[in-house]
Amino acid sequence: MIPRLLYLPASIGLALLVLPLAGLLLKVDWPGLPALLLSPEALQPLGLSLATASVSTVLCLLLGVPLAVVIARSQPRVAGLLRALVTVPLVLPPLVGGIALLSLLGRGGVLGNTLELAGLRIPFTTAAVVIAQTFVALPFLVIAVEGALRTAGVRYERVAATLGAGRGTVFARITLPLVAPGLLAGTVLSFARALGEFGATALFAGNQAGVTRTMPLAIYTAFNGSGVTTDQAVALSLLLIAVAVIILVLVGTRRASVLS
Amino acid sequence: MTPALWKSAANALLEANLQLTRGSFTLDVRLTLAPGEVLALLGPNGSGKSTVLDLLAGLAAPDVGTVTIDGAVLTAPGRFVAPERRAIGLLGQDALLFPHLSARANVAFALRVGDAQLNASLARKEADRWLDRVGLKDFGDSLPRALSGGQQQRVALARALAAGPRVLLLDEPMAALDAETAPFMRQLIREQLAETGTSAIIVTHDIVDAVVLANRVAVLHDGALIDQGTTAEVLAAPRNPFVAALAGVNLVVGTVQNGAIVAPDGRIFWVRPADAGDLDSTGPGAAVFRPASVVVHTEQPRHASPRNVWSARVTAIEPGSGGVRLRTSGDPEVIAELTPAAVADLGLQLGSTVWLSVKATEVSAYRR
Repeated sequence: MIPRLLYLPASIGLALLVLPLAGLLLKVDWPGLPALLLSPEALQPLGLSLATASVSTVLCLLLGVPLAVVIARSQPRVAGLLRALVTVPLVLPPLVGGIALLSLLGRGGVLGNTLELAGLRIPFTTAAVVIAQTFVALPFLVIAVEGALRTAGVRYERVAATLGAGRGTVFARITLPLVAPGLLAGTVLSFARALGEFGATALFAGNQAGVTRTMPLAIYTAFNGSGVTTDQAVALSLLLIAVAVIILVLVGTRRASVLS
Repeated sequence: MTPALWKSAANALLEANLQLTRGSFTLDVRLTLAPGEVLALLGPNGSGKSTVLDLLAGLAAPDVGTVTIDGAVLTAPGRFVAPERRAIGLLGQDALLFPHLSARANVAFALRVGDAQLNASLARKEADRWLDRVGLKDFGDSLPRALSGGQQQRVALARALAAGPRVLLLDEPMAALDAETAPFMRQLIREQLAETGTSAIIVTHDIVDAVVLANRVAVLHDGALIDQGTTAEVLAAPRNPFVAALAGVNLVVGTVQNGAIVAPDGRIFWVRPADAGDLDSTGPGAAVFRPASVVVHTEQPRHASPRNVWSARVTAIEPGSGGVRLRTSGDPEVIAELTPAAVADLGLQLGSTVWLSVKATEVSAYRR
């Protein structure tokens, strides 16, 4: 029962999403690929990316799930305000996020000065990478989990309370399992977002090999690098795509699609 | 209402005095529940029945009011015990089994939150015994979505009772079940309440629930209890059209004039001689007659031996227990019950104008 006219834009849309990736595959220097991927220039950023994105995702869970619960169970007006605040980083260009993080935590920044006095310097460290990734990824998790919580409603929680279950028990044994699909989708999304994070990282953490050069920065460096061919950039992109695909497959595309 | 009915029972298990205003709705209810008693709370939609249950269970707080159970204060000015510490259970229209837990785990959940010492394997065994009691011995491993609506509700009953509530609140527990399943569930609730000696308040639309399950009936209307008594008393002499409709009778609440009841719209209902003697002075009164006593004519009856004759429009034609129920216009509306064949013979349709008659000897009357 679909109007036939819709197939045309639908095909163009799909082509727009798929063809560039197909183009990328055509550009891959397949014989030279193993060497490119096993080089330190590829493995080091990959390791750093996986490590920082994992830590960021854990941070997102630790901070985002409680935030989602607070939003979902707030009065509608408060919830609307909180939701808007959480959404801002989502619609912000990541570069702006990077500048904002520098303004707060960088040299001369409000918190940055205080931390400097305590002997802590955040910008241009691996910690800055994690903070930048968490900054851009957290909204995805909060929105996914908050939506799931609102859909689940409070009816099961109320029943659990009338059975005598305290709030902690209800949260751990009823609320969290009920929103498991949303939680999983949110986790996958925030990990993917953290893995792909470039703009905020570049400004706030810089591009120091082994410290802050994650996969996206490595790709950028390879692509812009003087005298270097784009082969390295293409190979690294392929690697990043492969990692993303593997995660999606491991998690199961069916369950990840619960979010949509 | 006589003041005596409002007196708290000497050995009340639950006593509640609840006042709440939300917009234009005001609730003002005092009720008591004796140990082992089952109270049916009847009332039309919007009368505040479910609100009363929420206030008792601690899922909402009254503006002013108290709830005590066994003398322990649960709700009072400056005091509000959380629902999980009230030991007041709730079984609603929907079973609300936790969807990620098996039937057994649902029941075990209630057992273990009630008794932190209970280990998992004992809880499972105990849960199986509860499932057996509700006739679902072999369904312990089933997830809720694999169970029928009736089975889910049985597990929910087992779960609610397994928590060991001091009072169980039942909010239209049969409303979502089909006609074949509901009677079975009703009997099961009756059995299990009796076996466990659980005191309960059941909110219902269905008079059968009150008759089968309850010792006592309270009628809630617009946020106030307007009638209260033993089930038999309340149903035998309904003081309110809602209860009368539930009991399957026509109820005309009006005024007594010259040995008859005058309806709000001016219709006069002559009543049987036995009752007419009580109607010698004016005052509030009510006439009650069965829908089957109402005779329907398409033309004004000429030789009308029945003394009560009036014309009305047909406002609804619906299936009834004894045939077809015809709702007719007026204040109050009058329901006539006739056979499907009679409806066809008379060519009755929605909006038809009909003449209705009731023999005075079929009409009983009450002073209010």
